[in-house]
Amino acid sequence: MQIIEEKASNLQKIINVLSGGGLVIFPCETVYGAAVDATNPLAVKKLSVYKQRPLGKPYSIMLPNQKEAEKYVELNDTAKKLYRQFLPGPVTVVSKVRAGLTKNGLAAGVASELGTVGVRIPNYKFLLQLLFKYGKPLTATSANASYKKRPYKIDDILENVSGKQKQLIDLIIDAGELPHNEPSTVIDTTLDDPTVLRQGEVVFSDQDTILSRSEDETKNCGKELWQKYDKYLGQRAVVFALVGPMGVGKTQFTKGLAKAMGVVEEVVSPTFNLEISYSSPGLGASLDHFDAWRLQDGAELENLGLSGKIHDKSVLVVEWADRVADTIRKYNEEAVLVWVKLGYGKGENERTISWGVTS
Amino acid sequence: MNKQLPTVLAIDTSCDETAAAVTHGTEVLSNIIWSQAAAHADFGGVMPSLAQRLHRERIDWVIERAVKLGGVKIDMVAVTKGPGLAIALEVGIAKAKGVANKLGVPLVPINHVEAHLLSPLATPKLKEKGLKSNSSPQIQYPALGLVVSGGHTELFLIEKIGKYQVLAKTQDDALGEALDKAARMLGLGYPGGAILEKMAEKGDPSKFKLPLPMAGREDLRLFSYSGLKTAFYRLIEEQKDLDKQTIYDLAACFQRRAFEHLIRVIRKTINEVPFDSILVGGGVVANKSLRKILRRSFKKVWFPYSPKLIGDNAAMIGVAAGLKLGGGLLIADLKPEEVDRKPRWSVEDL
Repeated sequence: MQIIEEKASNLQKIINVLSGGGLVIFPCETVYGAAVDATNPLAVKKLSVYKQRPLGKPYSIMLPNQKEAEKYVELNDTAKKLYRQFLPGPVTVVSKVRAGLTKNGLAAGVASELGTVGVRIPNYKFLLQLLFKYGKPLTATSANASYKKRPYKIDDILENVSGKQKQLIDLIIDAGELPHNEPSTVIDTTLDDPTVLRQGEVVFSDQDTILSRSEDETKNCGKELWQKYDKYLGQRAVVFALVGPMGVGKTQFTKGLAKAMGVVEEVVSPTFNLEISYSSPGLGASLDHFDAWRLQDGAELENLGLSGKIHDKSVLVVEWADRVADTIRKYNEEAVLVWVKLGYGKGENERTISWGVTS
Repeated sequence: MNKQLPTVLAIDTSCDETAAAVTHGTEVLSNIIWSQAAAHADFGGVMPSLAQRLHRERIDWVIERAVKLGGVKIDMVAVTKGPGLAIALEVGIAKAKGVANKLGVPLVPINHVEAHLLSPLATPKLKEKGLKSNSSPQIQYPALGLVVSGGHTELFLIEKIGKYQVLAKTQDDALGEALDKAARMLGLGYPGGAILEKMAEKGDPSKFKLPLPMAGREDLRLFSYSGLKTAFYRLIEEQKDLDKQTIYDLAACFQRRAFEHLIRVIRKTINEVPFDSILVGGGVVANKSLRKILRRSFKKVWFPYSPKLIGDNAAMIGVAAGLKLGGGLLIADLKPEEVDRKPRWSVEDL
């Protein structure tokens, strides 16, 4: 282990250590970090031993600019916007690893098992110089062993690691005590990938439309649609697949439907819980309220126990159903599928609500 | 160490985070959280996917670390029984049963929301440097409790530890969820609450007019973000150019309205109840301007001492167990096989 100063004349030395699979402690605008060559499997393994964390927990990578980043990840519109707004800076943007990236690609254990990786472009001149010169991504992780104090100075690190860990450090770039800034903010953009959103376009076979002028009218529409299809209860499950943008009133619609079913509990947004179950004592039926907004794909809907909830005494409402349309369609035989499309109308509180049944 | 109280190994897998901790009374001896995002990326999770399998893969390592860092013999296991994602809760409960059986110690179930509620009472490890005294905030009961997270926005009356009454709750989105959704509407990814906060810092909160939710109807004791969300959608649509400053201003306006509404409902509600302090827990506590507005609005406001107690974590589960035991409350002789997951579980029926 060697401690050197942060100056341009030391760049080559740092690069030599990194090329040789070494572990380098470096300063940046957040905290001291531990870097290895993110394309070198042995180096990444060494880093995991140093960090005392098991393989499988992904590492973010650092690159000098967006152009370099795009060699490793696919940036969608959301990601591009975040790059424009925040990078270089203390924000880590998670994107999909570029398809077909193999040769000189990222070492195993860097990307997540979903094939995503966080990219950071540090707002720290010396580090940017190093990244430019090195030409390959470096891991971006704080230099403390997992779950130890945030390292703002070299002593914070050395006082908190074991002798064994110390031996794994090849080089330390000492820039004194750093300003006590927060670590970077991590944000995932992959839910906005058009490939996910495009999955399963919804086709309405027979279709009706009404105009709602208030939250109450949207609730009322939920009630009316329930009354239209309640005759199937006892024969088949009824699935209301809701499609429409944020804030359009999908949960309001469900509130009205639930009330008409005789559910007494307050129906709230299922976004966070993914699924909330209610019951209608009067009808002896269940109402399962799903939200596919945070789901990666239809398989996850199945993981939440979808098939077990489809029976002749069940009613399901799925918000953001277009994200999981293919999975819902699979139940066409066992269930009556009612597709409901909610959209913003012209007037301030207006909504158009259309529905149709897949035959 | 006060030997009256048992040392607790606590486990929480209610959502995306896999967490284990060792506590003693209110003292946090270790607090391990394996999050898909970094520990500070709060409000909600990044990866609902694969939750169950990921919990299974990580839980042994997380528990092992917590026990090792805790450095004490375990007298009891506490586990989150609910509320939360059913398939995720199962993993922690199954593991907790196994560990309790193996160690031959009792297993106690804890409510995740109650744990957030009591999280401001947690105290750091005594040995940690510079700490001479180490006592929980002195709370006079009844007190108020506020839980603001990605999944919950609820105001409670804490009559005493273990006895709570819901004073106000959300009728649609949780606060953290609303902030995340607003960020998403601005095209900022997910979970965007933290990004929204950064943007809001540079924005002018009075630049645009947004409606104040439930204005004049605060006595209904309901939080609501659906109308605000809709107005925000319209407002974004009206902007010809979503340039940097416009996004900052939009973020600032949404955040301010969301917080104002929260404060107004709390004010209205507490007019009618006696209380001394207000305890605030949950992921949205990470938001600095929320902490500021709460401090400005109420006299004795208590937040958890560490960011690691704000998002989902197991230390708060252990601390809740410790506090209840201290009050002679717990069902400590529960047989492990009797603990089963309860995805929906109000703290009113503990």
